[in-house]
Amino acid sequence: MRIPILRLDRILLVSIQEDLTDDEAMQFQSDLVNRVAEVEALGVAVDITALDVVDSYMARVINDTASMVRLLGAEVVICGIQPFVAMTLIEMGRDLIGADCAFNLEQGLEMLRARIVHRGDTRFTGDEDD
Amino acid sequence: MTVSLPQFLQAHRDEMLAEWLAEWSSSSAVGLAATSSTAQTRHVMQTLFDEILSQLMVAPQDPPPGLDEHAPLCKHLRHLAAEQARHPEVATDPMRMMFSLRHLLLRHVSTWIREAGTTPVAEHLVQVNRYFDQIALFVFNNIINLRDRHISEQSLSLMELSTPVLRLWHRILLLPLVGIIDTGRARQVTDHLLEAIARHEARVTVIDLTGVPIIDTSVAQHIMKTIDAARLLGSRVVLTGISPEGAQTLTKLGIRFGDVICRATLRAGIAEALLIIGKRITAMEDQAR
Repeated sequence: MRIPILRLDRILLVSIQEDLTDDEAMQFQSDLVNRVAEVEALGVAVDITALDVVDSYMARVINDTASMVRLLGAEVVICGIQPFVAMTLIEMGRDLIGADCAFNLEQGLEMLRARIVHRGDTRFTGDEDD
Repeated sequence: MTVSLPQFLQAHRDEMLAEWLAEWSSSSAVGLAATSSTAQTRHVMQTLFDEILSQLMVAPQDPPPGLDEHAPLCKHLRHLAAEQARHPEVATDPMRMMFSLRHLLLRHVSTWIREAGTTPVAEHLVQVNRYFDQIALFVFNNIINLRDRHISEQSLSLMELSTPVLRLWHRILLLPLVGIIDTGRARQVTDHLLEAIARHEARVTVIDLTGVPIIDTSVAQHIMKTIDAARLLGSRVVLTGISPEGAQTLTKLGIRFGDVICRATLRAGIAEALLIIGKRITAMEDQAR
């Protein structure tokens, strides 16, 4: 199943609902990076509220996706990590999730917007030609 | 009465040479005959002919002696190869010249064998063939070497061309990278950049990778080093123009650009750079649009 990528102005929303296989992860990552480049996204919120278990593989997939998106010049926030998931992640190792995290999607979006406001490319005042 | 091969060749020298020259000038309307002056070509051919003939005068040996690198023959062959390298459109000409001479000689040696009726006959033919094989290899080697030298000279000059460091704004430098980045070029780019940063006291450097077709481990490491070096001088680095494929490759290779600012487009990168130095681009309010 392909993971839908929702667009909210220049922010993209993705919600991972279940564990991904290798192929699904590759597909998801290439879909997302291409979409980020296409719409010149300023931020990406990755919601993992639905994940009850995050193993080291999934953690790496999420981390890699975040790095890719950052290389393309967008901000990333991971939202909705469950308390139990957070505990297992910490037990597995410190920097398993390197990206910034938010409690839920709402706070994640707020965080993204706050960061985007401080970027150079959003600070122009209505004189942009597109 | 029978004559020895050297005697036979000596006797027919002028005849063979004339035949070769005639054959060559009739066969090549273009090529060496056209590019270099005819008299010069004739002179070269005559010298080559005499050298080769004198080699054949000695008794057949097995294995035949190798070509002496410093012999006049090799000097002439090298000249021939150099001539050819300047005119790549006639790439096969020196070889064709040699092969036509071999054909001619084989024909004459066969005639001699028929007339003299000596045995073993094959020995002389084999020797002529082997000798020309060596010549062909020598010429070929020389052409390849010259070509290689040309290519490396060209890539050197290309390198010089393709690493400009542009002054984008007061205290902002732009380094647009185009093409393949190898170790040599990376070092040169870094040198240029650091020197420019120091000279202009740049606070921000925008490195644009839009023109870099392949980003792999070594390219990433080179860029990383450049960024670190720029940082040491006190210049922030903004990386722009990484393609989606590039981003995926870099991440899968496990390369982290850490806290380097990345932006999708050069435009966004310039905006970021302006923000860092506290400038902005705005519309001119007093101007009617």
